[in-house]
Amino acid sequence: MTDEELMLAVCVGDRSAYQTLVRQHLKPISHYAYRMLGNQKDTEDITQEVFLKLWINASSWKKEKAKLTTWLHRITHNLCIDYLRKQGRVQTQRTFDEGSVGAIAGKKNDSGNEDQLSLLHEVINNLPESQRSALTLCYYQGFSNKEAAVIMNISVKALESAISRAKRTLRNQLTTNNEVPARKPEQKQEPK
Amino acid sequence: MTLDEFTKIIDLYGTEPDCWPSELHTQCKTFLTTHSEADALLKRQRQVDELMKQLTVPNFPGLELRALNQALPERDNKFFDRLLAWLMPEDNIGKQIWRPACAACMPLFIGIVLGNFFNFGIGIEDDGFQYWNDELIMLSLSDYTEGTF
Repeated sequence: MTDEELMLAVCVGDRSAYQTLVRQHLKPISHYAYRMLGNQKDTEDITQEVFLKLWINASSWKKEKAKLTTWLHRITHNLCIDYLRKQGRVQTQRTFDEGSVGAIAGKKNDSGNEDQLSLLHEVINNLPESQRSALTLCYYQGFSNKEAAVIMNISVKALESAISRAKRTLRNQLTTNNEVPARKPEQKQEPK
Repeated sequence: MTLDEFTKIIDLYGTEPDCWPSELHTQCKTFLTTHSEADALLKRQRQVDELMKQLTVPNFPGLELRALNQALPERDNKFFDRLLAWLMPEDNIGKQIWRPACAACMPLFIGIVLGNFFNFGIGIEDDGFQYWNDELIMLSLSDYTEGTF
């Protein structure tokens, strides 16, 4: 069944269609939430809420406007931003799980570059929310710039600027510093 | 081409030359061979990309079951929702005009149909007509000769 057929079924209350959609989209949604939030508990809460919103607002998805995965990522993005703002953690150092670098790295010690991975993790976490989101959507989630801009509700130009700034920061921090960058003080949020 | 322009291409299209815009491909290649800074930048970005690939996300073992088994609200107002969605579609500007217009005309159509089948007590055999019949009969019975004698 296509996404459209599944969503039509969800609109009339078909729970098996909902379950199929959960299985199809759980991985990308949870990965995006984790890269935005950085800890398992919040990721699970937000992912669950995304699928609840899918069930409740299924009729508001229009296939002409966006692919289902784009729509779901947009819901996830908005929920993550709301959550981070409520926690007062946007643009600030966030409370990531203990040992999350090891968990997120996956290949711990395999290549002997744990320090570099730790540094990369720290630098990414210190990026402003818009830059981190843009980088995650385009680099890890595989969206085009246009789709990522739709998800973040910004112009393609603003998205490209965010990606460019994020990559420059990563390049500079990872190749010139050997130490973990100092935690940044609270910054004002960039206008979208 | 300047180093800034080259950096922007690397940032937006990645480090693989095949992904660079075709119209700038040759320019970039030439710039790479003639500018050592560009080559160093490309190598640095490739190192960063390699590291980024290693940042994976852990598994969430109970998450699928949690999402599948969560309590979903019942849909008790499906008809109303669908009616509203039909009346005010978001996708087509044409539909946004004619559908509400049709809905607004519905009382008129219903009135015409009902009026065609029911007279609601309004007809040709009403009290007024009967009153005129009685009046004519009374006039015909009147004695008009009384006053002449």
